[in-house]
Amino acid sequence: MKILVCIKQVPDMESKFKVAASGTWYDTADLAWRMNEYDEYAVEQAVQLKEQVGDADLTVLCIGGEQVKETMKKALAMGCDRGVHIADDKSAEKEPYQIAGIIAEFARDKGFDLIFTGMQSQDRGSAQVGVLVAELLAIPSISTIVQFTFAGGRIETKRELEGGVKAIVRTSTPALVTCQLGLNTPRYPTLPNIMKAKKKELVSLPVTDLLKVEARQETAKLFFPEKKGGGLVLEGDVGPLADRLIQILKEKTGVLA
Amino acid sequence: MHFEHTEEQRLIRDMVRSFAEKEVAPSAAERDEEERFDRQLMFDRLAELGLTGIVFPEEYGGAGAEYISYAIAVEELSRVCASTGVTLSAHLSLGANPIYLYGTEDQKQIFLAPLARGEKMGAFGLTEPMAGSDAGGTKTTAVPDGGDWIVNGSKVFITNAGEADTYIVFARTDREAEKHHGISAFIIEKGTPGFTFGKKEKKMGIRSSPTMELVFENCRVPAANLLGGEGNGFKVAMKTLDGGRIGVAAQALGIAQGALDAALAYARERMQFGSPICRFQGVQFQLADMATQIEAARLMVYQAAWRASNGMSYSQYSAMAKLMASETAMRVTTQAVQVFGGYGYTRDFPVERMMRDAKITEIYEGTSEIQRLVIGSALTR
Repeated sequence: MKILVCIKQVPDMESKFKVAASGTWYDTADLAWRMNEYDEYAVEQAVQLKEQVGDADLTVLCIGGEQVKETMKKALAMGCDRGVHIADDKSAEKEPYQIAGIIAEFARDKGFDLIFTGMQSQDRGSAQVGVLVAELLAIPSISTIVQFTFAGGRIETKRELEGGVKAIVRTSTPALVTCQLGLNTPRYPTLPNIMKAKKKELVSLPVTDLLKVEARQETAKLFFPEKKGGGLVLEGDVGPLADRLIQILKEKTGVLA
Repeated sequence: MHFEHTEEQRLIRDMVRSFAEKEVAPSAAERDEEERFDRQLMFDRLAELGLTGIVFPEEYGGAGAEYISYAIAVEELSRVCASTGVTLSAHLSLGANPIYLYGTEDQKQIFLAPLARGEKMGAFGLTEPMAGSDAGGTKTTAVPDGGDWIVNGSKVFITNAGEADTYIVFARTDREAEKHHGISAFIIEKGTPGFTFGKKEKKMGIRSSPTMELVFENCRVPAANLLGGEGNGFKVAMKTLDGGRIGVAAQALGIAQGALDAALAYARERMQFGSPICRFQGVQFQLADMATQIEAARLMVYQAAWRASNGMSYSQYSAMAKLMASETAMRVTTQAVQVFGGYGYTRDFPVERMMRDAKITEIYEGTSEIQRLVIGSALTR
């Protein structure tokens, strides 16, 4: 079985963000970098699948500058067999269709039975890349999975829908799934495995060989939300106050139907 | 010259920090309060993560990493729980390392490999009631008897005692020889007839780490367990302590960093006179001093670790790092309690525990005075 897991390196979300001079992305100076949280679930699930089937080859793919290799090493230390680094210092400027195009171009004709991605990235948060890759490869995709099983060439997943509703979705392979919080608990890369990761294959491919699609969207402006005014203070007797509160909750929120 | 960690070291720090914050920190206050050692959490989990044999080669069950990675691991554990930090440090630097440094190939296979893999825990017995800083005053004896050694005496203040499976024990094998020369090191396993444990110490700090007395009464130890040759015990002990000091220095560094992190978070939240107290210059100056001292200590600890991994002499450097880091830990934790004010003096916040934990780093594996002696004699040799 051939498995691909796609990961992204993102800033530590506790960083203090500033809008970059370009006005369309954040300033990357002095940030600490991590593996995108949802991609950790993807890596964990891919490694579990490999452990389940035994005879499997697991490739981790990441697009970005030289620095993303560190995050790839973590994935290798968690159990991926080999790494494919798509070298692109300007990956942050690419929109989801281009990123998906690059991944699909790499994956096409490689015979991956399963592709795992995170549900979305913690920085751009478009949640489009995974499903676009599947579309470009013309394979089925299941998004936002919180449970995954594989048996007899088919997968069964549980999806998370709005309002706490869940759905069971099955499909045959090849297929792509995007992984959501709650799917699993990612393992720690053990120290010996961190040491061994540096001996695993990690090839770099230039992005220019794989970028065949045009951008379909552009970011016009990145900005912090405007500071909202202070909260609403209701005063008066308890009875009318409760009625007023219920009215506001009904009108302005989805808390009460 | 560069001051950046390698990719590998950053991954190790991330992994240990994440484990420490998620799994070790939540029970740190409770274990301290109850003086409870949790072997599953504080040792077996470390073994699963490959931390129990960080610096030893793979052929002996280790991970083949260098001393900076080891220092990082002890630092990150101690940042949330100094007792867990010292459990690893005493096991690896004191229990296992002498076997790596002085053991025969057989001893490495039999004793070091299970220690490195974390199947067994290590400890080190040098200190005696009448022989602390003056290790040459060792009174415990080992007398040859039909190819074995008969050990008699006792050891006090032994970290990991009772829990550990393999002990490095120092005993006088030649009563005629001058103080430092007649001492030998032995590997003694828990369960050996004649080897028992005395009282458990009730300590000021690192209360979740067990400290006990070792008692030897006609304890028969096979000749094959003599470590480093007869009469070489003092050398084995001193060389072991050189490395051990990197562990304690890293532990002190972690305690100090934990206290700064807590003080900083509190200073941002705590409102007085209508403003978070971190806005006041008086508090900022305290935080600035704490951070500056920690950074200086950190550079010294990593330098000593770097020298140890690169085959350079490091005795003087590990003594300097330990002296600097432990005194920094004491100062910084005291300042952290001050930043917290009255709350810092209570057990509702971790800085009270950190201040108690810091003190031992100025005492064990050579007091600050002994470190100054080591540094001074190296300078004036």
